[in-house]
Amino acid sequence: MPMSRRCIPYTPRQRELRDSTFALVSTAGVQMREQEPYNLDGDNSWRLIPGDVRTDQLLVTHGHYDHRHADADINCVFPLDRLRELAAEGVIGGVADKHLGFMGYTQQLRDLYERAAPEMAKVIERSRADAVLLTAG
Amino acid sequence: MLGLPTVLITLVPQASREMGPPRAIAPAGFQLGDSLGGPRQVALQRAVLLDALRRWEARDEPGNIWEITYPAYVPDPAILHGGEIVHDD
Repeated sequence: MPMSRRCIPYTPRQRELRDSTFALVSTAGVQMREQEPYNLDGDNSWRLIPGDVRTDQLLVTHGHYDHRHADADINCVFPLDRLRELAAEGVIGGVADKHLGFMGYTQQLRDLYERAAPEMAKVIERSRADAVLLTAG
Repeated sequence: MLGLPTVLITLVPQASREMGPPRAIAPAGFQLGDSLGGPRQVALQRAVLLDALRRWEARDEPGNIWEITYPAYVPDPAILHGGEIVHDD
């Protein structure tokens, strides 16, 4: 749906925190080890990260920030372990079955706005997520 | 479909504000690459995450970015330029 760039796209929450399942969407360049690396010269592709992934199977490919800390601990930019802990404690309802990684450096802004971002949104909307936590690098 | 309620953790609130995120927090002084804190700083990562979730939960005006200071965070001097890669070209 076309939207004025001056609008803030706000969706009210329908559930309490303790009943809500969260998905992670990050532009920090997070991917699984076996997935194709992002193109550091510019990339609008995204990576589906399954909800049951082991965090030691995640890594970062990105050329526009120093990701040594994320290399050592992915939770610096993709707090999946922290979310799982909060779900186990009952602070949140759960952790989603799908998360998304994206690299975020691109010159193809029209493609990002018209294709890539809507595709990513659709993936998450069709998942079990009730809410989304967004992070960058 | 209305979409899903989101919350952003941003380290560049000025730039983020231009995009109009509906809910966001900005940990003050964190280097790029340390969105929730440094490696294995579990308590700090948890604190930042809980604040993001509080922002998600709060009935606050859309677009407000909560800027929050975490005394436990210390920038790593080994991470040059605040975590940003500076290209010569």
